[in-house]
Amino acid sequence: MARAALDSPDSHRVTFIVLRYMRRPILMLVFVYAASMVGWVMIPGVSVNGADQPLSFFHAFYFLTYTATTTGFGEIPAVFSDAQRMWSIVSLYAGVLAWLYAVGSIISLLQNPHFRNAMAQRRFAKLVARIREPFVIICGFGNTGSLLARGLSDAGVTAVVLDHDKDRINALQLRDYRVTMPGLCTNARIPARLIDAGLRRTNCRAVLALTGDEEVNLKIAVTARLLNPTVEMITHSTSEAHEEALASLGKDVHIVDPFHTFGRYLAATIGNPGIYVLNRWLVNERGASLDDVPELPRGTWVLCGYGRMGRRIKEALDELAIDTVIIDPKGESAPEELPNLIVARASQATLASAGVHRAAGIVAGTDDDAYNLSIVLNARALNPDIFIIVRQDLHMNQILYDQAGAQVIMQPSLVSARRILFELIAPLLKPLFERLRSGDGDPLLEHVFSELRDKVGSRTSPRLWTIDVNAESTPALFALIDEGGSAALGDILRDPVAREQQLACVPLVMRSGERIEVMPDSRQTLAGGDQVLFCGSDQACLTLDGTLHNEYTLRYLITGVEEARGWVMRWFNERGSSNESRAR
Amino acid sequence: MNVEKVVFGFFAVLALTLNLGFVIGDVDNPAHHHVVIFFLVVVVNIIVTGLKLGDRSQIGALLLATSLVADLELIAAAIVWTFAEHVSTAGLTGDTMVIIVSLASGALVANVVSVGVILAETLMLRR
Repeated sequence: MARAALDSPDSHRVTFIVLRYMRRPILMLVFVYAASMVGWVMIPGVSVNGADQPLSFFHAFYFLTYTATTTGFGEIPAVFSDAQRMWSIVSLYAGVLAWLYAVGSIISLLQNPHFRNAMAQRRFAKLVARIREPFVIICGFGNTGSLLARGLSDAGVTAVVLDHDKDRINALQLRDYRVTMPGLCTNARIPARLIDAGLRRTNCRAVLALTGDEEVNLKIAVTARLLNPTVEMITHSTSEAHEEALASLGKDVHIVDPFHTFGRYLAATIGNPGIYVLNRWLVNERGASLDDVPELPRGTWVLCGYGRMGRRIKEALDELAIDTVIIDPKGESAPEELPNLIVARASQATLASAGVHRAAGIVAGTDDDAYNLSIVLNARALNPDIFIIVRQDLHMNQILYDQAGAQVIMQPSLVSARRILFELIAPLLKPLFERLRSGDGDPLLEHVFSELRDKVGSRTSPRLWTIDVNAESTPALFALIDEGGSAALGDILRDPVAREQQLACVPLVMRSGERIEVMPDSRQTLAGGDQVLFCGSDQACLTLDGTLHNEYTLRYLITGVEEARGWVMRWFNERGSSNESRAR
Repeated sequence: MNVEKVVFGFFAVLALTLNLGFVIGDVDNPAHHHVVIFFLVVVVNIIVTGLKLGDRSQIGALLLATSLVADLELIAAAIVWTFAEHVSTAGLTGDTMVIIVSLASGALVANVVSVGVILAETLMLRR
C-alpha cells in the first residue's frame, strides 16, 4: 500500500492551520522590521571625521533585535544623533506592537479548539503508526469497552480506543495499562478517523463496535468491511434488523447481543453452575476457585423483570426445562400466553404470592440496581435459604451488592466483555463452552474440572494461550513434522527438566483443518496448521514455548535420548552404531 | 550423563586452564611464556570450535561465537610470534611479547565466557 494511502487526508491539517493563522502576524513583522531598517540606514548619525555616518543594515538589525523584542540589551553600536533617537522611538513602538500581535496570535491559536483537535488527532495517528504488534480498535469506551481494555491489557494485547465522549477518553488516559492504549475523542462514524486509528494497517486484527448506538455500530462495521476486507469485526447489537444487516457483511463478523449473551450465560449457570465457575476462573476473577462450585437447588425459579433481557433469560431457562414464575410491573409488554406472569412490582406481598417460600431460586434481573437490591432483601426475608442471582448494571454499586449477600452477582457488561475477550484472545474457547452447554456437557465438565485441578491446580491463576503449528511460532515442531516425524500432544507437554512429568497445563481444544476436538487425547499427533488452546500456569507457557523453539529439547522429549549436537560427535556416534550392527 | 557434554566440557575447561597458564607471568618477559604451552592452547581451542560445529541451538551458536573469538586472537598472536622469531631481525623482544600476551589474555576472557555459558546451560536444565 502506498504511503499516501495510509495517511489520512487530515494529517497535514496542523501545518495548514498554523500557516493560515500566522500569515498576517508574520507579514506584519516583516513589514515593520523592513521599514525600520530602511529608516536606520538613511538617517544620519553623529558625524565622525566629518562624515554623517548612518547605521549599516547589520547594526540596524542588531539594534531592532534587542529593542523590538523588549529584551533591553544595553549596548548600542554608536552614539546616536537626535534624528536617530527620534526614529528609534518610532521603530521601538512599532516593533513591540508587531511582536505583541504575533505572540497574541500564537496564544489564541494554541487555544483554538480546532487546532487542539487537529493536534490531538496527529499525536494519536503517530502513536498508532508506532504500534508494531497486532492490535484491535475499540469504538466506544463505555462499561463493556473499558472492561475489555483492561482484559486486553492483562493479556498483553494493544488496543486503540475511539469514543465521542471527552470524559471517557480522559478516563482512559488516567488508567495504568501494561500496553500502550492510544485514545482519541472523535466520532467513529467518520471513516478518516478509523483510518487514523489504524484500520488499514496490516497488523490491525479486529474492530470492535461497542458504542451505545446501533446505527453507529452498523456504520463502523460497514466502514471497516469496505476499507479492510480481512479484518475481524465484533459488534454489539440488540435489534434483529441490525443483526441481519451485520450478518450480510460476510464472515468474520461476530455479533454480540448483550441481552442474549447474558440470558444464555445466566441460564447456563442455573442449569450447570460449573460453567459459571470455570468462566470466572479462566478470567482470573478475584477469589474464583475450581473447588467451590455452588450447589443449585432444582425446582421453580422466580424471575423478576421481563424486559428484553428477562425474555432472553426465560427462553434459555425454558430450553433447560426449568419452571419459572415471572414478576413484572408492565403486563402489556408480555404476551398473554404466559400463565405464570404476575403483573406487579416485586414487593414482599407479590414475592410471597409468587411462591418464594417454595422456590428453588430467584433472579433479580431488572435494569434498576436499587430495585434489584430491594428484591434481594425481600426474598431473603421471606426465604433465607433461597438461591439468589442478581443483576448489577452499574459498577459503582459494587459495595452495595457485596453487602446484599446474593450467591451470584452478574454484570451484563462484564459478561459481554468476557465473551468478546475470549473471542479475541482464545477463539477456540467457544467450541468448548458450546459443548459444555449442550446435552452431553456434564461428564465433559467433570473431565475438564478434574484435569484442570490435577494439572494446573484450582487456585493458581490460569493463563490461556494458543499455539499455531507453523514455521514462525513453533519452528522446531514444524521442522520435525516437515521432516516426517510425528509429535503427540502428550510428548510436547513433557517437562524438559523431568521427562516423565507433564507441564502444568491442559490442552482444552485442538483444531486440525475443519475438525475441532474438545479435550484432545494426549496421544493425538500434531500436524502443520493445527491450533491448540492451552490453559495452564505462566511457567508452563514459557517452558512449552521453549520446547517448541528448540529442536534438541523437542526430540529429547519425544525419544528420551539426548542427541549429539555437533557434527564431530554425530559422526562418532554413527560410526559406533554401524560398527555395532556389523558386529552383529 | 551425556557423552557429548563430557567431551565438550573437558576441552572447554582444558582450553581455559591452559590459556590461563600461558598468560600468567610478566607481560613483557619472554622467559615467562613458553612456546609449547602456547601451541597447546591454540590446538585445544581449535578442537573446541570443531566440537561445536553443527549445533543449531541458540546456546550452541553463542558457544561457537565465543570460541571463534578465542581462535582469532590466538592465531593473530601466533602470526606475531612467528614474524618476530623468523622474519624480524630484532628477534622476540619484550615489546612483541606484550602484543602476544595481550591477545592471549583476550582469548582467555572469551574462554571464561564459554565456560560460564556451559555452566549456566547445565544449571538451567537441572537434569
